[in-house]
Amino acid sequence: MRENWKLFIALAVFYIFMAYIYYYLGGEAVGITGMLLAGFFSGMIGFYLWFTVKRIGFDIPSDDLHAEIADDAGELGFYAPHSWWPLPVGVSATAVGLGLIIGWWMVIIAVGALVISIIGFVTEYEKPLLEETHSNN
Amino acid sequence: MTTFAERPTITAPRLGAQKTSFGTQFVKTITSTDHKRIGYLYLATSFFWFLVGGLLALVIRAELTRPGMQFLSNEQYNQAFTMHGTIMLLLFSTSLFIGFANVLLPLQIGAADVAFPRLNMLSYWLYFFGSIQTVAGFLTPGGAASFGWTAYAPLSSTDYSPGIGADLWIMGLTISGLGTILGAVNLITTIFTMRAPGMTMFRMSIFSWNVLLTSILVLLAFPALAAALLALESDRLFGSNIFDPANGGAMLWQHLFWFFGHPEVYILALPFFGIATEILPVFSRKPIFGYKGLIAATIAIAALSVAVWAHHMFATGQVLLPFFSFMTFLIGVPTGVKFFNWIGTMWRGQVSFESPMLFTMGFLVTFLFGGITGIILASPPLNFAVSASYFVVAHFHYVLFGTVVFTMFAGFYFWWPKFTGRMLNERLAKIHFWTLFVGFHLTFLVQHWLGIKGFPRRYADYLSTDGFTEMNMISTVGSALLALSMIPFFINVWITRKSPMVNTDDPWGYGSSLEWATSCPPPRHNFHTMPRIRSERPAFDLHHPHIKSEGHN
Repeated sequence: MRENWKLFIALAVFYIFMAYIYYYLGGEAVGITGMLLAGFFSGMIGFYLWFTVKRIGFDIPSDDLHAEIADDAGELGFYAPHSWWPLPVGVSATAVGLGLIIGWWMVIIAVGALVISIIGFVTEYEKPLLEETHSNN
Repeated sequence: MTTFAERPTITAPRLGAQKTSFGTQFVKTITSTDHKRIGYLYLATSFFWFLVGGLLALVIRAELTRPGMQFLSNEQYNQAFTMHGTIMLLLFSTSLFIGFANVLLPLQIGAADVAFPRLNMLSYWLYFFGSIQTVAGFLTPGGAASFGWTAYAPLSSTDYSPGIGADLWIMGLTISGLGTILGAVNLITTIFTMRAPGMTMFRMSIFSWNVLLTSILVLLAFPALAAALLALESDRLFGSNIFDPANGGAMLWQHLFWFFGHPEVYILALPFFGIATEILPVFSRKPIFGYKGLIAATIAIAALSVAVWAHHMFATGQVLLPFFSFMTFLIGVPTGVKFFNWIGTMWRGQVSFESPMLFTMGFLVTFLFGGITGIILASPPLNFAVSASYFVVAHFHYVLFGTVVFTMFAGFYFWWPKFTGRMLNERLAKIHFWTLFVGFHLTFLVQHWLGIKGFPRRYADYLSTDGFTEMNMISTVGSALLALSMIPFFINVWITRKSPMVNTDDPWGYGSSLEWATSCPPPRHNFHTMPRIRSERPAFDLHHPHIKSEGHN
């Protein structure tokens, strides 16, 4: 993470610089807008990475030149072993697109399905609050 | 009194040898969150589209064999080349990159999985259903989209392209593009947060670096495509006038489309450059020449690629010729640096020509030709002379077929033992390579002269008095040979499906990046043990500890 923000900031500066040159030479609006947006969005990611690095405040083992594999020992994080939810989200998102062509009735059904499946996707590993308190006792 | 009991024999459960029914496997696959399994799904699906797109190419070539219409109508011909381009670029090559990246990136950086495993599967489903939707137009009465893969306005409006096929094309690409964007987000996050201890950014394999920069380009380019496609669909459905030629919509579409389209070419090229860069040092028995130079070149390509889009629009006469011509020449420089480094890697190495190396050499030769004609096309006066002719078609196929297809097969032969635990047959691989190589060059080399002689692309027919017949015939024969070259590959995959397991981490003997430090195929979360990482060649350091690595410490 340590150096990554520089990559994005460098790209952002370059894109905005190119947008200026293009504007200076008399380029049209789409390209100027496109390059400026590319610049600002890269800058946004760069800024996010920069303040995340500042917030963490220390080098993660991935950035340590002399790290041992054991330095990162412990819990790696949670990995879903398998999940049914991506499939309905994918199907209903495609159905929204198809519905625009076929008819509004289909869009309405598909958007409903999409919302439900996204809720399912997001909350799949949310534990109910009640159980949590019980298990702690 | 003594009683005897049979000593229980403890047999270790053999991983991967359990009998599983088709149903179990099927459910396991469609609900998978394993980056390798999802990667194989991506690779298999995109290879399927490669075959479909190839079939369409054969139809196009067969139609062009002789003057006169052989078996297609003009409209069917338009559909064939439109869908050929769309399938090959957006449904095959782009997702092939995500497939290779999915399987290999976590292995190469020493991660257990990608950062968002379920999002990964969602990207795949969006791509899967989106790609079916894109091609589904063939099943409608009006046929598939027929306005070319570039969908220039106003040709793509309802006046000139009525029918649901075009709408399906637009929405399908939007959905599948959404999957690509999510995939790129996933890959970037994985690289930034999930590298193994000691795997600093400047110890990552070149492939991982190229995946990173490709993903950044995806984030820049695909939203522009999505915006353009949705605006086009709004024109078609709701009668908005965004791409109405009366208010400059024709140029607006071209600018938006190529603002996506040119970075897209690099999205297709960079990861496959990465594959070539992984293979060259292994079969030259040398470290990569100019590791940091290669990374700098890739960053330069990623930076410059947003400033060259209008070189696709020279012939409109409404773009800044000097700016775009200069930028296009400029972007040739980092590509040249890469070439220099590839040659430098082989220079005085112990080069051996196993099949992955052979395909990589095929890539180098073919891509070099494409690069040279690219210099010609970057120059406006020369561009005007050959614009929209078969010269451009030849250039384009030399660049992209050379990069994507040759290095795809190089990657398949190289990583097949890592994917499956089994080697592919070398003799069949060599037959495959030479038929592919000869077939490809037979098909596309003559098209340069065909274009210079004046045969425009996208024409379904020509006159016998035009003098295009002979070259078209050569090209068609070549395309048949090219298609036949797939047969040895399929035979190879089939006959080696039960060949002995390699039972070693690194069957090639000189693998450098981290995927060669785990078993073939890798376990569910990739590594049982991981070597200490002190250079960009951790697996090489592990297997050849007596050789001091020239890596970066």
